[in-house]
Amino acid sequence: MSVNLNNSNLATRENRIGSITGYVGTLKDLASKSECGTLKGCSRCFSQSSTCLSMCGLSQLAGIRDVAIIHHGPAGCSVTSAGSYYMSKVMSKKRNVTSNTVYVGTDMNENDTIFGSTRVLKDVILKVNERYSPKAIFVSSSCATGIIGEDIDSIVDEVKEEISVPIVAVHCEGFKSRIWATGFDISDHAVLQAIVQPPRENAKTNKIAFKNFFESARPEIIEMFKKFDLDPIFLYCNSTVEELSHLSECIATTCICGTLGNYLGNALEEKYNVPYVRSINQCGIKGFETWLREIGKVTNRSEVIEEYIKEQREIYLPQIEEVKKELQGLTAVLGMGPGYTFEVTRVLNELGIKVVWALAWHYDKKYENGDVPPSMKYLLDNDIDFETSVADQQNYEVMNILNKYQPDMYLSRHPGSTVWAIKNGTPVVFVADEYTMFGYKHTLEFAKSILDATRNRNFEQNLAKRSKLPYTKWWYEQNVDAFLEEAK
Amino acid sequence: MSELRQIAIYGKGGIGKSTTTQNLTAGLVEHGKKVMVVGCDPKADSTRLLLGGLAQKTVLDTIREEGEDIELDRILKEGYGGTRCVESGGPEPGVGCAGRGIITSINMLENLGAYTDDLDYVFYDVLGDVVCGGFAMPIREGKAKEIYIVASGEMMALYAANNISKGIKRYARTGGVRLGGIICNSRNVDRELDLLRAFAKELGTKLLYFVPRDNIVQHAEINKKTVIEYKPDSNQAQEYRNLAQAVIENKDFVIPTPMTQERLEEILMEYGMMELADDYKI
Repeated sequence: MSVNLNNSNLATRENRIGSITGYVGTLKDLASKSECGTLKGCSRCFSQSSTCLSMCGLSQLAGIRDVAIIHHGPAGCSVTSAGSYYMSKVMSKKRNVTSNTVYVGTDMNENDTIFGSTRVLKDVILKVNERYSPKAIFVSSSCATGIIGEDIDSIVDEVKEEISVPIVAVHCEGFKSRIWATGFDISDHAVLQAIVQPPRENAKTNKIAFKNFFESARPEIIEMFKKFDLDPIFLYCNSTVEELSHLSECIATTCICGTLGNYLGNALEEKYNVPYVRSINQCGIKGFETWLREIGKVTNRSEVIEEYIKEQREIYLPQIEEVKKELQGLTAVLGMGPGYTFEVTRVLNELGIKVVWALAWHYDKKYENGDVPPSMKYLLDNDIDFETSVADQQNYEVMNILNKYQPDMYLSRHPGSTVWAIKNGTPVVFVADEYTMFGYKHTLEFAKSILDATRNRNFEQNLAKRSKLPYTKWWYEQNVDAFLEEAK
Repeated sequence: MSELRQIAIYGKGGIGKSTTTQNLTAGLVEHGKKVMVVGCDPKADSTRLLLGGLAQKTVLDTIREEGEDIELDRILKEGYGGTRCVESGGPEPGVGCAGRGIITSINMLENLGAYTDDLDYVFYDVLGDVVCGGFAMPIREGKAKEIYIVASGEMMALYAANNISKGIKRYARTGGVRLGGIICNSRNVDRELDLLRAFAKELGTKLLYFVPRDNIVQHAEINKKTVIEYKPDSNQAQEYRNLAQAVIENKDFVIPTPMTQERLEEILMEYGMMELADDYKI
């Protein structure tokens, strides 16, 4: 990987790391084709749904406290601001901190599209700076400004002389990539470009950068890391510009999800020699231990970490083993982002549950450092294979699989997806919170919630009886790849 | 009262579309026709000869400065022989979106009632390279149904004409647009007439008219006039009258059959290479 922080425009995941959004086959086939370079993604001749990368990127940035997001585009493009704004307010309230982050759209109209509206943009930037005094300003493009080639970079350069806080152009035209996770990388790129400073002299700390979504396990992670003399900084939800400016001084970077943290982790390592903890993630026992040991290795704390593992194992393993007995032989289908798809598959395997089909919303052939994603590598090394597809969040494909396999449960991290499974009569475990199966304690809770969901099936059964799904018998009889077009 | 004929003129940049369109318009005026010329080029130089200079304020400049609540006479000027002249205009070079500008301008003209019943012809003089959907606007949505491509015997002019035909073919299926023929604006290249005839035939159309090269066109341009106005008795003025006659009488409207690059080059080899291969005098 070569991080180029001089250019505000970041290439898409498709171009950088060969990500794809269409595939049907098996895990082993997917992996071997990725390794030998023959994997080609398919496109669809019919797409039921999609997500905009701009929403993904800008909502990450809007989570940072006391910044301004200026979305240069027609009002419709800025519509996702409502969700981001709400989320950032709720999350700061939950943590009992104050965030004065604002999200402003420039409300481009037809004439602005024809004549360009960089003057208006400049006025908006200066006004926002004056009115809200943000600690940093992110100026984002939209599809409309992308098409007309609006030069937001020069405007950002121009106002730098008048504004004392970091300001950066964020290029996130929605049409750039089919993969919304490109938005995560774009937000990382902006933070690295404008906010992260080179380390101060002798400033290496015991801080560890922890990239996650909504920091629900923050208190317990802080507690745990205290035992190892480590101090986590959670990104980007509720983080401050000051904290982010010193990311280069951290002892290591880690993340809860490879899809989310890959770009930042690799970039900090490449630019500032901050080691990036590359392991399977913290889900499940194997994942948690592997991750902790990797942190031990990177930060030279292996001894204390081994002690912690030993102590925790004694408390939780017997309990987990007890629940596991009840879970043996259950089958599952899951639909989630590629990071979690393969991590959760591993955890389910640990618990004795058989994954019959996994639908990853996209798939990254490799990570920024050129390696196959660790979650994938683990499954292959342990000879775990199953049918899998890259489904781009297409609900009709999920329903086709659920109907064919009638699994004991469906697991998803994305709101909306689980509702359909329930209407199909399939018990559901919604794993939206990224810490649902974090470490021993939450793995135990996760196992118990699976048990609950699969034992009491009244809810799904009753709902299914009263719901008429829109899919025809014809569709259920088709192969799931019926609408995939041959790879070119 | 005959039916309004809306005609779009396309062709490679610099081939002489604006000059030909305006001289053709002057010819039609002499036949007593009522004509409107809509310049669809951000450079806004499509009506200069009819208006006697670039005095025209463009539709987009007017919208930019005065807002959308404007009267038709702010953007429509009367030129030679009662022709109505409009320039769509565009943003400053390097900013915004000129293509979207064309769409907005033409919609604005319609909304303001520029297409009156007394008009016989509307010409759309479009930027040479149809770089995006905006510049195809005049042939979409049932506006111009008739297209003429201005070309010469030069390779790049024919290449552009072939590409434009691909666009016409696309819109022919839905919008009903047809190619009326090729107008040759001669550059005096070898066997130009034969080459253009062969090229037009391959496209499934005809060479509508061959306008010879004459320096008087330059002189008229410098004087901000059409040749018909500048030297009504000249041979070239008669050529443009003949072109106007050919347009009036034309009944052959086709869906073009664009050729492959290989076929285009074959035609060029066949007609464009003289036996006196080393004589490069122009």
